[in-house]
Amino acid sequence: MEGRTILAVCCAVAGGAWLLLAIGVLVGRLRPSHRVQADSDASWTPSDDPARASVPRLEGEDPTRSLLEQGARSADRQVRISAITTLGRLGHRHDWAVDALIEALATGGEPVRVTAQLDRLAPRTGVRLIPLLGHPSDLVRFCATRLIVRYPALAQAHLPVLTHDRSPNVRAAALETLRASGSGAALRCSLRLLDDPSARVRAGACRAATAIGGTRAAPFLAPRLGDASWWVREAAREALVALGPDVAAFVLPLLEADDPTLRQGAALVLQDVGALDDLLAADHGHEQAERILGAGNPRLREAAADRARRGVRLGVRPAISSEPAP
Amino acid sequence: MSMEAVLRGLVVFCASYLCLVYASYLTLMLVGFAESRRSRREHRIEDLGALGSSRFSPSVSVVLAAYNEAVALPHAVRSLLGLDYAEFEVIVVNDGSTDDTLEKLRRTLDLVPVEESSRGLIETESIVSYYRSRSDPRLLVIDKVNGGKADALNAGLNHSRCRYVCGVDADMVFASDALSRAMRVITQDPKTIVGLTSYVEVVEDPSRALVDGVEYDIPDSSPLIAYQALDYQRAFYNNRIAWSRLEFMLCAIGAFQVWRRDLLEELHGWSRDYTCEDIELTFRVHEVLRDQKRPYRVVCLPDRVGVTEGPDTVRKLVAQRERWQRVILETWWAYRHMCFNRRYGAVGLLGMPFYLLSEIVAPVFELLAVTTLFVGAVTGLVDWWHFAFVTLAITLVNSVFNTGALLMTDLQGRVYHKRGIARLFALMPLELVVYRPIMAWARLKGTWRFLRGDRAWHKFERNARAEAV
Repeated sequence: MEGRTILAVCCAVAGGAWLLLAIGVLVGRLRPSHRVQADSDASWTPSDDPARASVPRLEGEDPTRSLLEQGARSADRQVRISAITTLGRLGHRHDWAVDALIEALATGGEPVRVTAQLDRLAPRTGVRLIPLLGHPSDLVRFCATRLIVRYPALAQAHLPVLTHDRSPNVRAAALETLRASGSGAALRCSLRLLDDPSARVRAGACRAATAIGGTRAAPFLAPRLGDASWWVREAAREALVALGPDVAAFVLPLLEADDPTLRQGAALVLQDVGALDDLLAADHGHEQAERILGAGNPRLREAAADRARRGVRLGVRPAISSEPAP
Repeated sequence: MSMEAVLRGLVVFCASYLCLVYASYLTLMLVGFAESRRSRREHRIEDLGALGSSRFSPSVSVVLAAYNEAVALPHAVRSLLGLDYAEFEVIVVNDGSTDDTLEKLRRTLDLVPVEESSRGLIETESIVSYYRSRSDPRLLVIDKVNGGKADALNAGLNHSRCRYVCGVDADMVFASDALSRAMRVITQDPKTIVGLTSYVEVVEDPSRALVDGVEYDIPDSSPLIAYQALDYQRAFYNNRIAWSRLEFMLCAIGAFQVWRRDLLEELHGWSRDYTCEDIELTFRVHEVLRDQKRPYRVVCLPDRVGVTEGPDTVRKLVAQRERWQRVILETWWAYRHMCFNRRYGAVGLLGMPFYLLSEIVAPVFELLAVTTLFVGAVTGLVDWWHFAFVTLAITLVNSVFNTGALLMTDLQGRVYHKRGIARLFALMPLELVVYRPIMAWARLKGTWRFLRGDRAWHKFERNARAEAV
């Protein structure tokens, strides 16, 4: 074939392909906007999407229930996710959907998705979680322990034992949940776990101890400002700061500690609770302020001077989950 | 050997190269189609709202490195603080800016100087000061001595507290569900997916996207921006999504790169030895994890997570693209031992050769093709009918790739008005003579600078934007 013919054929093929794709764009545009929007939507809020509207029509039918239960256990990820999402929608009205989600959690598929749905279904989940607390899988026990936070009575009855769990993630989760439930037992557990070998557990214990025990826990917590782990030091700092200016009495003695990390931690706490700013502003507080500034690094002094110059005070930073989940 | 024989040989060489490149692109586009279709199907079954607001979703530290970004940065930070995700923190690292970046941030975000403690895992240039926002306590600003983008990101990594670290650029404005979309995929397989990137749209003024919500359109922007929009669409939908599916995702872009923090720490963060950090880190992840035979994936999503600023003048565009070319060359050269090496699986056997073909030797080919045509025209050896047919064929094939990418973009989420689509179609046939020569020049310049050992960033001025309030 002559070169010119080959090129003409190439042009024809490419032109045809371009035309086809352009038609594809136009045909795609014929699709109703709400369908396109639904595909890229961020949530399953009520929608006029017919595909979604068909879900409630199927509810309650035994074949559907069986299908969804099987779907949640499916080896196919898309089927599994679809079933979990649908079960989550049905769970507000049907206990069998909650049971199917619990079963899905126990089998370990898509834990983030299942727990997100179960968390939304409170208070229907409740006692159904109890058997999972003794599940052989660390991941399942961890998820159940965190889910139970919405049921304080159940947490207080069942979680203290999990603070002895073999998995540090479960121990930390149990503490966190007990903290949220305000259990008296949590204070004892958290004080005990301040010496746990796992940094994640020690960090959790710091937060739990002050959340439940208030300033009573501060003397036990203050030494953790010099912990070997940065995560624990930060958790201790956040926990002490959450107690407010009252904590200063427990932290001030640490400014003379031998350990520079501990001194720096104490100085940071006093900065964060506003004690440093108060002392610098007061006529008679300069000596104390100098003790704090002397314990910290030079940036502490510069930042304090800058704040004083601008006449601004600090707010308290919230705690951010700082350890990897299992 | 006669001039005609030499020219004929060169034409055959160029045509063979072109056929090989187009065959690769076509294959990747078809894989991209399949992958973006799968992604759209997943969206229909996924409850993103529940995932984004769930306390069981993994926490994310967003780290933004900024150098002289007074114009763009407040918009980027605002959009980050508006992300719809359960648990995240934003760490902005001011890398020794010489403009009023820090002052503008202080003013717009109510920053207070504080002292903080660093984990000090990775050595960086020294920290000058820390700032915490009184209006949003999730924000931490680190002001440090200039050390480059990688150094700034490492400083952020030293202070990150979350399980995942998301590195972002200062010229971005993010969609509120950006993190939900990214983490949706990571939570499907958190043990294996170690890194992720996603599609970003290019616009002239991202701050408009923040003002107007997530609606943006290209009809009002210049043709230069429209061509860049097509370029980005092709790069993501026709290439990166396919790379991701074929397991050789070679570039988690700096504009939006999510990494598992433990892996970043293990690899000692981003490297300062390269002009730009993003491609190198992705290559290093592949090298280390494949060497250690660990199961892993680096993925690219078709989801639009935000908008980035496209240079609005040819000069700025050339400056940006020549740097990209230089970075590709630097990284490819440093990791050349992976090319055609079975030990590195798809990365060594497909990814590296593809980069070699489509990026490394492309400027040489382009120069050769233009020279051949010029010499042919001067000596009268070019048959003008042939020339016209070749030009038409290349134009049509390029338009096929552009339209394929546009189709995927439009199916993913309808952000262009019909007028915008029509405008893109009208611009496509002219790409070869308007946009491609600029790219070719930028790539040649980048190659030349790489050969000269230039490692500078050559930062260009940002486009004019509305003032952040």
